[in-house]
Amino acid sequence: MNNLLIWPVAVPLLSAVLTLLWPRRSTWIGVLGTTLSLLAVVLVSRQVVESGAIELALGGWSPGLGIALRADGLSVLMLLMSTLVSMAVAVYASVYISRSERRSEFWVLWLLLITALHALFLSGDLFNLYVTLELLGLSAVVLACLGGSRESLQAALNYLMLGLLGSMAFLIGVALIYAGYGTLDMAALAAAIESGPTAWVALSLMTGGLLIKSALFPLHFWLPPAHSNAPAPVSAVLSALVVKAALYLILRLWLALFDEVVTQTAALILGLLGGIAVLWGSWAALQAERLKLMAAYSTVAQVGYLFLFLPLLAALPEGTTRDVALGALVLLALTHGFAKSAFFLAAGVIMQRAGHDRIAELGGTARALPVTAFTLALAGVALIGLPPSGSFLAKWQLLSSVFITGQWIWLPVIAVGTLLAGAYTFRLLGYAFAPGEGVGPSLSVGREEIPAVLLALAATLVLGFWASAVWELVPISAYAGGEG
Amino acid sequence: MMNLTLLPDLLLAGMLIGLAWAALSSDDLRRGVVLFIAFGLLLAIVWARLLAPDLALAEAAIGAGLSGALLLVALRDGSGGDKRAAKRSRLNRWLIDLFVLVMTCLIGWVLWLTIYAEPVERLAQLANAMLDRSGVSNPVTAVLLNYRAYDTLLELVVVLAAVLGVLVVGRERRGYREAGPVFYGLVHWLVPLLIVTAGYLLWVGAHAPGGAFQAGATLAAAGIVLRLAGYDAAGLPDGRLLRWLLVAGTGVFLLLGLGMNVSGGRFLQYPEAWSGSLILVIEVAATASIAAALVLAYRGGRTDGWLFMDNKDKSREVSS
Repeated sequence: MNNLLIWPVAVPLLSAVLTLLWPRRSTWIGVLGTTLSLLAVVLVSRQVVESGAIELALGGWSPGLGIALRADGLSVLMLLMSTLVSMAVAVYASVYISRSERRSEFWVLWLLLITALHALFLSGDLFNLYVTLELLGLSAVVLACLGGSRESLQAALNYLMLGLLGSMAFLIGVALIYAGYGTLDMAALAAAIESGPTAWVALSLMTGGLLIKSALFPLHFWLPPAHSNAPAPVSAVLSALVVKAALYLILRLWLALFDEVVTQTAALILGLLGGIAVLWGSWAALQAERLKLMAAYSTVAQVGYLFLFLPLLAALPEGTTRDVALGALVLLALTHGFAKSAFFLAAGVIMQRAGHDRIAELGGTARALPVTAFTLALAGVALIGLPPSGSFLAKWQLLSSVFITGQWIWLPVIAVGTLLAGAYTFRLLGYAFAPGEGVGPSLSVGREEIPAVLLALAATLVLGFWASAVWELVPISAYAGGEG
Repeated sequence: MMNLTLLPDLLLAGMLIGLAWAALSSDDLRRGVVLFIAFGLLLAIVWARLLAPDLALAEAAIGAGLSGALLLVALRDGSGGDKRAAKRSRLNRWLIDLFVLVMTCLIGWVLWLTIYAEPVERLAQLANAMLDRSGVSNPVTAVLLNYRAYDTLLELVVVLAAVLGVLVVGRERRGYREAGPVFYGLVHWLVPLLIVTAGYLLWVGAHAPGGAFQAGATLAAAGIVLRLAGYDAAGLPDGRLLRWLLVAGTGVFLLLGLGMNVSGGRFLQYPEAWSGSLILVIEVAATASIAAALVLAYRGGRTDGWLFMDNKDKSREVSS
């Protein structure tokens, strides 16, 4: 039943329409819609695990003339991450946003954001990907300015402009590819694209556009203000999911479509930018005075780690070793998705109770909000990459890829980055576990604290112990035919 | 003699580049916007010269007309502030110019290589060959509403997200004074004419240039004219009906698509005998939603009725 593939897109979209029509029931429809989307993704994932990559030709037209949806191991993993994270965040938001005047708009846009993410991870068509990118960018921007403050509007406007610039570059790349190869279907393109000026320019434009969206150094400057000024549930999905969507596309382009075109030098440049992002982002996170700003800078650093993999992947020969490295990349992205969303949710809880998120005044958090302090600690473990978190295994594999390929320059980057991550995490925990009155007395364990701690547990324990599932799923590719 | 026929085209191309440059480099924002509108109209003519009437219509209606109207009304909003474009340092500006120039040359060179040097078979032939099975005879409509209908569905969602952005950011703008007698007379002519034109564009889309986006934009133009004449609602209903209008396009499209899915076909796989009528139904709903979204964007924010629903909502919460 490949018809299943449309449901992860259709369910949230239908819920969004219903939410707009019945604003009074928005919270219920929003949470229910998110839950049903989760169900749809689970059904699709089961199908992929059982029978390999699946494809749905929409409208019954052959891919090329029509649009195909495809699900393989990589897209299923990204789908699962986005749906699980958004489920937890939705439960959190049902409390956090319940007093807001713009509640019904939040839920509509929330469901549109999920629609866009799912559509992006399932799309098998380059132009359709552009449309999903536009939808994703636009709904993310509107969600980011729901905070309503002047700073959040300014940050959202910058986010919008840069996002549009990125989409535009991507679109020009898509147009060049269509002009050069006469199709937009990614499976056909994976077989057709060969090295040449068209492919070089198209790949550079598309990658450039996506780099803006994934906030790789030095194109990261829009991220900290946009992510730190948004409402907490929005910051969580922006940092955990939206940034990953652009990264997912870069992986698809570099590893499946343009694998003949990518050169070692190009990969090395991205790796170097990633390395600088790791160091600079971690350093800025250490300097940050506000909790959410710290989390946002930490995202800049964590995105950097993911780009460190590109030169290693380019150097490794196709086969098991490369799949293992790719699996590690995905595992790191997933762990960061869960950990960072947990972190932002915990920051939101603290902000609501204490009325501020100045790190130096967080004394007493551990006593007033023990579950939230625990969440911060667990998320910190995953951000540093300590065992048993998924990122520990991923970084271990990153190091072993460094040894295999002999690209020693990444070794100090990883070491210093990890130390800095440890430093900013322990600095935060030092304040949070110190005695003080900064946060106020404890009320009770709120409904909004549970999703955060579950996300953090997923990052540290579940992904750590069941990491092998990631490595088993990643090699299931819908585009492998193109390489033969 | 070749040169003589080429001359008007060269002139057009030159003017297009000149206008684009003038619009970008204008220090006065209002002047820049007016130049931008002129640029859009000229671009529409260029599309027509390139035998792409669909694009020409869309560019004239949306690119020049509605974008221009939105830009002008945004300028009116900021009337208290500075009308001049922010001054960038000369070096900065040169660097940007240089970057754009290099990128343009690069992309132009590659496009020339791919289109003229070694042309490949693209999809136009296949799209035309399948036209009998698509339910319409205009290939552009076949692509937009049948072959790649999923793209169009998501585009409608993009429009929805954009208008929600407008609603989230603030209340609607203040309206305009009631029109004087001359303008009033013109409005009485113009609005029915625009509505009929929209209906024609919608209907004709099945076999000639036209379709939901152009029709929606034309309908929205009628709304804008109404608002300029002092009808603050610009022809839009409020409250629940407005919400239904906004989601009509997306909702009908999605439900029909899912209907195909449930009844044994693929998502959006219309039964061949029905595809013409189904496409028309979707286009009617899409036209209504696009027009409503564009007019709402021109009004610039939440309407009173939109807030009223939220207020009722709040009082409910208190009472329960």
